[in-house]
Amino acid sequence: MTDLSSFSDAGLVDALLMEVAGMLGRLIERGETATVDLRGLPLSPACIADLESRLGHGEISVQLDAAGRSDIHETGFPGVWWTRHADEAGRPIALLIEVTTVPDILRADPADMADSLQRLAGATHFASHQHARHG
Amino acid sequence: MDESETLGTVLKRRGFSRRSLLKFAIAMTSSLALPPSIAPLMAANLARAKRRSVIWLSFQECTGCLETLLRSSSPTIDSLIFDFISLDYQETLMAAAGTAAERTLREAVAANKGEYLLAIDGSIPTKDGGVYSLTGGRSNFDMLMEFATDAKAVLAIGTCAAYGGIPKAHPNPTGAVGVEDLVTNKPIVNIPGCPPVPEVLSGVLVHFVSFGKLPELDDRKRPLAYFGTTIHDQCYRRPFYDQGKFAKSFDDEGARQGWCLFELGCKGPVTHNACASLKWNGGTSFPIESGHGCIGCSEPDFWDKGSFYTSLAGGSSTGWRNAGIAAAVGIAGGAAAALSARRKPGAEPAGPDPEKPDPDKQP
Repeated sequence: MTDLSSFSDAGLVDALLMEVAGMLGRLIERGETATVDLRGLPLSPACIADLESRLGHGEISVQLDAAGRSDIHETGFPGVWWTRHADEAGRPIALLIEVTTVPDILRADPADMADSLQRLAGATHFASHQHARHG
Repeated sequence: MDESETLGTVLKRRGFSRRSLLKFAIAMTSSLALPPSIAPLMAANLARAKRRSVIWLSFQECTGCLETLLRSSSPTIDSLIFDFISLDYQETLMAAAGTAAERTLREAVAANKGEYLLAIDGSIPTKDGGVYSLTGGRSNFDMLMEFATDAKAVLAIGTCAAYGGIPKAHPNPTGAVGVEDLVTNKPIVNIPGCPPVPEVLSGVLVHFVSFGKLPELDDRKRPLAYFGTTIHDQCYRRPFYDQGKFAKSFDDEGARQGWCLFELGCKGPVTHNACASLKWNGGTSFPIESGHGCIGCSEPDFWDKGSFYTSLAGGSSTGWRNAGIAAAVGIAGGAAAALSARRKPGAEPAGPDPEKPDPDKQP
């Protein structure tokens, strides 16, 4: 297979960074979130690596284990996130730049929270019951 | 599985979280070229979705389409989505045969009248009363026309079902045609390719299950998200094309450097498909990445348009010539302009000089 891993088009990367800057401006001014789907763009692996490198790494890194691994980190530009989703076989299924305060997938879902409240209450009841028996 | 169960219920029982479903929806919106912001809505709709019936009829075909689509499944949510497609009839896969299979088909049609998807792979022979391909003594033509009547939509899977494909190749001894040549009163989705990219079918099905309708189609009834751009538009070798760097043979220095394969006959500039973005074998690669030009297998009559190794710029075969010259109109601008053009559905690429000598004839 031909190896083009070393090829990077700086023009494409610059154009994308300008687009992200525009998105960040709209997030600040209007609270408008945005996402760039990198897999939908004709970028070589080197281009993507270049883009990731130029965005840098900020203070937050998250590993999500949900139907495969996801790695999410805030870039060196707060409000700009780098999100890589893989399936259970480790194959990449989405590569995104998310311009938002916090990526949606990290927020707890209301239905999940209601379910966890029930389970937590059950666990607490069980715990107090056990405590009463052995105390 | 209880037919009344929702996908959300099944997912919860199997230990998939809502984040898993949202993640799947993010991947599917990416695949369908939908705005990423629609992923939460898709996830919510999928959670509420119930099973949809699919009846699959195989006509004049090689089973390659079914083979590749079976290879798309993996032990993830994708496979659960396929659980939500009730494949009620598929002759190659089902255990039942003969009258039992026929009974299953009738029952599925009766139970899902007006709601089932009819999937077709293979072309339909029309010459001599359609005698060249029969199932249980019935012609493909008769079966198509009968079962399309009560279908919600017809999916023409593969180039043969979409356009007639290889059975239609000259001299077309069986009078083969595609579905759209015969069915004129139903929504049709063409998913061409020899074979088609499996993720395209997944995307169409997920769109149907989650939004209750078919995805947006182009003027050839193909899902716009996957066929809106050419292979060339999405090709990672495109920058070399823009720079005028072309491999002259399959083993020259240019080929080793990954230069554009246009002069070696690549049909990427006139072929609409998603190979370059979705790739094959679980996202491993696609033919151009393996060093071979696109053969244009998802375009009508690709088999009759001349050598796979003749440049679109000319040469002895002329089948692609008009398209090649059309693709040559315009000159690529800077990187951002090229990127913008590639995102516009149907945007045609710039091309090299159509008068350039045919590489096949070079010494």
